[in-house]
Amino acid sequence: MSDLTGAASQLSRRDGGGAAAPPPRERGGSRKPAASQVAAWAFLAPVTIYLLVFYAYPLYRSLDLSLRNYTVRSFVHGHAPFSGLKNYSIDLHDPTFTPALLHTLIFTFASIVFQFAIGLALAVFFVQHFKLSATLRALFLVPWLLPLIVSASTWSWMLNSDSGVVNSVLHHAGIASVNWLTAPKWALVSVIIANIWIGIPFNLVLMYSGLQAISPDIYEAAALDGANGWQRFWRVTFPLLRPVTAVTLLLGLVYTLKVFDIIWIMTRGGPAGASTTFATWSYQLSFGNLLPAFGPGAAAANMLIVMTLIFGFVYFRIQRKQRES
Amino acid sequence: MNPRKSLLKTGIGLLLTALMLFPIYWMINVSFTRDQDIRKSPPNWIPIPGTLEGYRAVLHQQGPYIATSIVVGLGTVVLTLLLAAPAGYSLARLRPRGGGVLSFVLLIAQMIPGIIMAMGFYAIFLNFKVINTLPGLIVADSTLAVPFGVLIFTAFMSGIPDELLQASRIDGAGYLRTFRSIVLPVSRNSIVTVSLFAFLWAWSDFIFANTLDSGGKHLPITLGIYHYIGNNDQQWSAIMATAVIASIPATILLVIAQRYVAAGVTAGAVKD
Amino acid sequence: MNLLSSCGASAGVKIKRTGYDTTALLSQTLLSAQQGNSPDVLIVDNPVVSTLADAGVLASNDQDNIDTSAVAPNLLAAGVLNGKTYGIPIGANTLALYYNKTILSAAGVDPSTIKSWADLTAALAKVKAAGKGGITLSAIGTEEGSFQFLPWFWGSGANLTKLDSTQGTAALQLWTTWFKDGYVPNAAIQDTQTTSWAEFATGKYAFAENGTWQLSNADKAGFPYGIIPIPSMAGGVAPAPTGGEFVTIPLQKDTSRYATTEKIVSCLTSSDNAFNTDTTLGYIGATAAIQAKQASNPELPVWITAVGAAKGRTSDNLGTNYPKISQQLWTAVQNALTGAKSASAAMSAAQAAAATATGGK
Repeated sequence: MSDLTGAASQLSRRDGGGAAAPPPRERGGSRKPAASQVAAWAFLAPVTIYLLVFYAYPLYRSLDLSLRNYTVRSFVHGHAPFSGLKNYSIDLHDPTFTPALLHTLIFTFASIVFQFAIGLALAVFFVQHFKLSATLRALFLVPWLLPLIVSASTWSWMLNSDSGVVNSVLHHAGIASVNWLTAPKWALVSVIIANIWIGIPFNLVLMYSGLQAISPDIYEAAALDGANGWQRFWRVTFPLLRPVTAVTLLLGLVYTLKVFDIIWIMTRGGPAGASTTFATWSYQLSFGNLLPAFGPGAAAANMLIVMTLIFGFVYFRIQRKQRES
Repeated sequence: MNPRKSLLKTGIGLLLTALMLFPIYWMINVSFTRDQDIRKSPPNWIPIPGTLEGYRAVLHQQGPYIATSIVVGLGTVVLTLLLAAPAGYSLARLRPRGGGVLSFVLLIAQMIPGIIMAMGFYAIFLNFKVINTLPGLIVADSTLAVPFGVLIFTAFMSGIPDELLQASRIDGAGYLRTFRSIVLPVSRNSIVTVSLFAFLWAWSDFIFANTLDSGGKHLPITLGIYHYIGNNDQQWSAIMATAVIASIPATILLVIAQRYVAAGVTAGAVKD
Repeated sequence: MNLLSSCGASAGVKIKRTGYDTTALLSQTLLSAQQGNSPDVLIVDNPVVSTLADAGVLASNDQDNIDTSAVAPNLLAAGVLNGKTYGIPIGANTLALYYNKTILSAAGVDPSTIKSWADLTAALAKVKAAGKGGITLSAIGTEEGSFQFLPWFWGSGANLTKLDSTQGTAALQLWTTWFKDGYVPNAAIQDTQTTSWAEFATGKYAFAENGTWQLSNADKAGFPYGIIPIPSMAGGVAPAPTGGEFVTIPLQKDTSRYATTEKIVSCLTSSDNAFNTDTTLGYIGATAAIQAKQASNPELPVWITAVGAAKGRTSDNLGTNYPKISQQLWTAVQNALTGAKSASAAMSAAQAAAATATGGK
């Protein structure tokens, strides 16, 4: 994480950005006087307590739920026997496990790739400051401010097999109706499309601000060297955007892995589990049926967190390798 | 850029925006559609004949919900700023030992699925008797924004030139004074950015509202919409009308604040 | 709502009412009970009562002097667990087939001749040939989907303890064939009963499988409609599942509250009050007395008979096994209708999973 804040602070230098920037500042306070350490942690105290109460505690409860054999009775009255990793084993052996894993991976990577690419392309487009560009850019953010329940319902309605506008348009173009939400092979695609739509504004905002911080002098210098638009972008702009790209992709990863509302409202993870991801599966186990299975549900949610951690680590390694090269 | 090219780009921009906002258009379309035309196949692209029935229902019933959402949103903004700004300042400039660990923990905190948080909060809130209250909901919603806020503030405040801070230190100001009189005013962009994110995420929250405030006297708009959808009588025009109305305050905020957002996300110029 | 305040007033208290979505109510109840925050009165959907009782959340009727002697046994069965009864039904509803008179007469179908599956399928074919939609139903992957499938499942003679019997598979095959032949709208896979009703109300479909609670909506539909009971495979009326809520009393730490709670519950379920509630909600009364009063309404006798033949989902001593079986049942329906599995493969998989989940019962 210190890499990222260091990287982002690199970006702040208006004197040309990444390539010639000084390396990230040293971390470690061994040479700082004690008083300033006290002050530093005093400023951090509220957040630290906040973290312990509001994040550590729910996490602890989730861990506890997953390590015990909870029936509805013991959930209410307590004294659930410790069952070790049995709930995790139940999940691993459940036939839903592999499809859920697959769907989670596909959902996450497809969403991120498209959200980022489209967000970046739009940012590049809008940074050119043509007439109305500021207003249009602001309008692009509207999908992001809609409550998810609204976006999901709207997309469900548009993708309805019989009365949806998407199929109506396809008809006009001579293509047969697609059962977007009721056919197993299209359900995952449909929720991915909706998720991409919702995620574009976030990527647009971040990448746009990254682009804005690059001084126009760089472009002039590159143009003087005879680079055309495309080359300018890949050789000059994109490398300079690396820090912002890093933050955007990482946050995108963390947020997308736990996406739940959109999928649940549009397809409930169905039909027949065709769009079930770990997030929806965990919810389904604990709350989505008449007989709650809190243990396996919490285990699935914890496995999701672990998955996120693993991806986070992999991501950091790639980042570090890239910066060292 | 030459005027013709500019106009062409504006044209393309309009097209792209129209494409992106099509679902919103559809939402508005449905909000004016009569119930008997909702399932027409092919559907009406323009809601004629239309009805204002949906909006009538909304204004009658959903007003208090919107007011509640605004209160919760503003509360979340205040709480998030109070927690995240000092933390960002500390991580960026005061070099606490173990600061990197804390940043990392904040990242992990964002990985926890919402439902786990909600269940944990239920127990805590019940014990502190803040279940079904707005302050409780504000605290819950702030967990959506605080880690991200710390990230933004840290990134931004790292870019404040040393000279500014040194000057104030030489004048004998303590860390708190420096924070209040120098750092905060200069961080205007990032404050606006974080406030915007915090407000929008709180506005859009459903899971915390549903688990922690369902029985409360004041319900936010997301629950209002959800009750419509869950009802036996599915009035789609009312649902979409609620959605449209629910989007208006946030849209206004966004258009006003977007200028600051773009500049504030990464460390911007202090010379702003 | 007014009933709540008047019952509260007569018991000397003010009642605070909190409504939840049905699917969220169970988890919310469990969460509340865990934290010692249970409500005094809890009105829940009947299949959930045995789960709550098993969780030790509810007080049994002997604990709190609720008199259920007048309640029809088939309706009370959902609240019975291990010989003890929990709560009292406020009324019941069930499923039947609504039909669009205009469409049927135009297609030359006489609804009174529909007595078996074969009759119904033939009628659907005629309607489709006349250019109209066949039947709307709900096959969603939730309890509602199971609820809608049960009349066909039970109507084949199958039993919930063995999902993959020939009869059970035949029931699923019936729906699958209808689906393939285009008699059922594709959206049925994710439709709730509310949505499938809305499709019927467009006037484009001949039949709708839906419940008593739609009666008031049916009057507003804008076309003449009728009702026939759901036919069974061989002929006759299929047993349909009972819907409807139970009024239950959660256990409280402070037992002095029970006295007031009992007064409120008796008030809510008294003959006159229950009659009014049932009329408003479109339910059939739970006792013979209320049913007799309702018989004077010409629209209701069909439903009263249907309710009389209805079965509780958790009866047959299924209790808390029902939810596990039900989940496999709706999964099987989804698998078959989407073509992911054949009807027999879907049912076999469902039975295997159900057997594991219920511990081989």
